[in-house]
Amino acid sequence: MLPRDVTNMQPGMDPDNASLEAKTAALAEEVAELKHLAESFERWHQDMIRLTTSNRHLHRKGEDLLAVARNLIMVSLNAAIEAARAGESARGFVVVAAEVRSLALKAQELVSELSVGLHKSNLLTAATFQDIQAGGKLMMAAVSGLGSSVNRLRSNED
Amino acid sequence: MSSDQANRNLAEALRRVALTTLVRNASDDCTIVEASRSAQEELLGSRLLVITISSFTFRLLTIFQVSEAQPTREYYTSGLTARSLDEAFAEIANMCCGALGRELSAQFKHLAMSIPYGLESQCARFLDELQPRFRASYDVTINNAARVRITLCLCCNRPVEFAAARLAEEDHARGELELF
Repeated sequence: MLPRDVTNMQPGMDPDNASLEAKTAALAEEVAELKHLAESFERWHQDMIRLTTSNRHLHRKGEDLLAVARNLIMVSLNAAIEAARAGESARGFVVVAAEVRSLALKAQELVSELSVGLHKSNLLTAATFQDIQAGGKLMMAAVSGLGSSVNRLRSNED
Repeated sequence: MSSDQANRNLAEALRRVALTTLVRNASDDCTIVEASRSAQEELLGSRLLVITISSFTFRLLTIFQVSEAQPTREYYTSGLTARSLDEAFAEIANMCCGALGRELSAQFKHLAMSIPYGLESQCARFLDELQPRFRASYDVTINNAARVRITLCLCCNRPVEFAAARLAEEDHARGELELF
């Protein structure tokens, strides 16, 4: 809201000019405030870095989990072979080994899907934040242009 | 949406700036060919470098992949001791995208460019998730040795037309655009 108060006008000053001057001064203040937008853009950029760093960390954990699942598949396969060699007495163990293998395969599939999801998420995050960053520069340029216009207006008043 | 002609003009603008900014010496031999979708499945390196040029009507992602093979590494880092390929190439990619931004700024008054951001190369497989109106990749080979791939990914909500070649002299006469 622009102030309409012209009570501080100097003696002899045209009331219309005084009002315009007050409005221009208020506009200049608003423009100066808008320049703080840059701080918001910087904060969003830092958020993006934190988000993608966190994704990378999850990605590494996923790879560790994938390695565990692969090992588990091999172990269950060897267990099934050993159980088969042991014959009738190890028939129950064959079933357990097959179940462990099935679970390990499922875990491998889920971790692979998680990895794909993280890559997709990283791209979408980066694309969105880069657009915000570049859009922020556009807005700052617009604010700067507005500031220059206000300054020109004020210098015309002097 | 952008017309086929607009897409060709955009690709041509990229070609013009790539020929001058991706080479380290003006006399270096530089060839640029469009990469087919199947060729794009072969990832050139382990990292992507993404830079976005945004306007109020569109955003253009420019995605750089640089080969990590020795010839490319040598080309971009020789004579630059203690600099990694990633660091050296980020500077080159930034210049290339800045030049593309300047070309486009002759037509679009309000444009700005993000800073480069590195991603794992597997992310390139998901570019269609951004629902681009135009997407194309170009394989750049310098001196039959160094290899770079550039992908343009244009996203817009309403029609965008890119005009044919701008007057480079006019652009240079205006000097460096502050936003780039």
